[in-house]
Amino acid sequence: MNDALKMQISAFIDGELPDNESELLLRRLSQDAEMRQQVSQYLDIGRIMRREHEIPGIDQLRGRIGAVLGEVAEPAADERPVVGSALMTPTAGVAIAATVAALALVGLSQLGAPSDPVLQRAVAIDDGPASYTEPAIEQVLAEQPSERLLQYHARHGDTLPGLGPNGVRTRVISLESSELVEVDPHPHLVSGNAEAEPEQEPGQDTP
Amino acid sequence: MKRTFPSRSELTMLSAAITLLGLSVNASAQSSPDELLDRMNDVVNTIDFEGTVFRRENGESEALRIVRKIIDGVINERLVSQEGNGLEIIRIGNEVHCILPDKQTVLIEEWANQSTLFSSLPSSEIRYGAQYDVAIIREDRVAGRRAIMLAIRPHDNFRYAHRLWLDEETSFPLKTEIVSQDGELIEQIKFAEIEIGDGISKESLAPSMSLANYSWFTQPEHYASAEVETSWQSSDLPPGFKATSTTTEQMPGAANPVTHIVYSDGLAMVSVFIAEAADAPLAGTSNVGAANTYSVLRDGFQVTAVGEVPAATVQRIATSMQQN
Repeated sequence: MNDALKMQISAFIDGELPDNESELLLRRLSQDAEMRQQVSQYLDIGRIMRREHEIPGIDQLRGRIGAVLGEVAEPAADERPVVGSALMTPTAGVAIAATVAALALVGLSQLGAPSDPVLQRAVAIDDGPASYTEPAIEQVLAEQPSERLLQYHARHGDTLPGLGPNGVRTRVISLESSELVEVDPHPHLVSGNAEAEPEQEPGQDTP
Repeated sequence: MKRTFPSRSELTMLSAAITLLGLSVNASAQSSPDELLDRMNDVVNTIDFEGTVFRRENGESEALRIVRKIIDGVINERLVSQEGNGLEIIRIGNEVHCILPDKQTVLIEEWANQSTLFSSLPSSEIRYGAQYDVAIIREDRVAGRRAIMLAIRPHDNFRYAHRLWLDEETSFPLKTEIVSQDGELIEQIKFAEIEIGDGISKESLAPSMSLANYSWFTQPEHYASAEVETSWQSSDLPPGFKATSTTTEQMPGAANPVTHIVYSDGLAMVSVFIAEAADAPLAGTSNVGAANTYSVLRDGFQVTAVGEVPAATVQRIATSMQQN
C-alpha cells in the first residue's frame, strides 16, 4: 500500500475525503481482500472510534469497515457483562463478537444495495458472470440493516426448508441480537471428537 | 499358490455390478426432471460428503470447506470458512456450534432440521406449469464429475430462476444458481471438489483448533411463536403466492409480539412481519445476501416483507397488506 493510499484512508476516516473519492475507496476495499488485510494492520480501529470529532453517520461506516477488516471496538465499561449465576452470565461483549463475525461474513458489499432510483448514485461493476451495483456512500450510511431487520431475516431463514450460507449468517446475527448466557463446553468438541453422541453428558446445559 | 485371476462367479458378480452401475448412470441421465428432483432431495438428506464449496452472492465470493456424515442416524456437519476470521460451524443433530477463533468463543444454537449449505432446493412438488417450467438442459461437468443441468424458469418477473447441476451418479447438487429474469446471478453455490460416499472420516468432523480455553455461550430463550389467525392479508399478491402459515412471535427486545405471515409459490418464500410502528422504525428497501426486504407503514403498523425474490415482489406484497 503506497503512501498516497494511506493518506486517502486517513482522510476518509477523518471525514475529510470527498464523497466521490470515498466511494472509490469503499469499492476498492470491498473488492480487494489483500488491501483489506493491509488496511487492517494499518488502522487502529479502537483509537479511531474514540475520536471526539465526528461527522454524522461516520460511526456506522467505521463500524462497517471495522467489520470488513475483522476488527472490533472495545466495549464500553457499561457494556460489560452483568454477573449472574455461575452458568448464566449475560454478556454484551460476546454479542459484539458475534456481530463482527456475522458482518465479516456478510461483507461490506452485501449491505444496503440501493433500489430507489433517486438515491441510486451507483456504479455498476462488470465482475464476471454476476453483476453488482455498488451503493452510493449516502446509501451505505443510511441502509445498514437494523437489529430488528436482522431478526426478521433470521426468522425468515427459519421458514426455509434448508439453511444456506445466507442462513448461517443470519443465524449468527440472530445470536448477536439477543442476550447470551454462558454454558458448559461440549465435552466431545473440547476433546476434538465431534461425532454424535447418543445421550448428553449429565449436567450439560446446552439447548 | 496365490490365485491371481478372478473366479467365474467373481467375474459374474463384477459384470453384474458394472451393468447395474451403467444402468444407474443411464437411468439418471434418462430420468424426468421430477424424478431427478426427488432423488436430489433424498440424497441431500442421506448422503455423506466432504468438499470445498465456492459461494458467490451479489459479486462477493467465499470459499467454504464442508463435511457431512451421518452417524447412527444423526446428521453431523462441519463447515469452515476458508477466509476471514476462520469461522467454523459444527452441527451435531440439531445442535449447532458456531466457533469464532478470533474471539475464542463458541456460540451454541438449536436449529430445526436444516442444512448448513443449501438454502432452498426445489422439489417435484412445485407447481410446475403454473409458475415455473422445469427442463433438463444438458450434460455438463462440475467438480470433476459428470452432471445433469436442470433449469427452473419462472413465467414472470416476480420470482427468480434456478439452475441445478446434479451429479449424474447420485443426483447430489454439485452446483446451484439463483438467477434473475435479466440473467443476473443472485447466488451461486458450486463444489470445486467433492468426495461422496462412505469414505468420510469421523475425524474430519472435529474442530480444527483446541477449544479448551474457549468461552461457550447460548441464547437464554428462543423465539416464542404460536399459530394464530390474523385480519391482515395482501390485496394484490403476485400470481401463485399463497399464505402457508401465520404466527405471532415475540422478538428479542420488542415490547409487543410480531405477526409473521409466510407466503409461498412452492419454491420462493416471502415472510411478512407486522409490528407496531413504535417497535420497528424501518423504512424502504434493503437487502441481506440474496434476500430483499421492503418496509412500509400501514394503519400505525410497520409492515416488512423479506424474501429471496426480486425487490419488486417484496415491495408489492408489503404495500398490498391491509387489515380486513
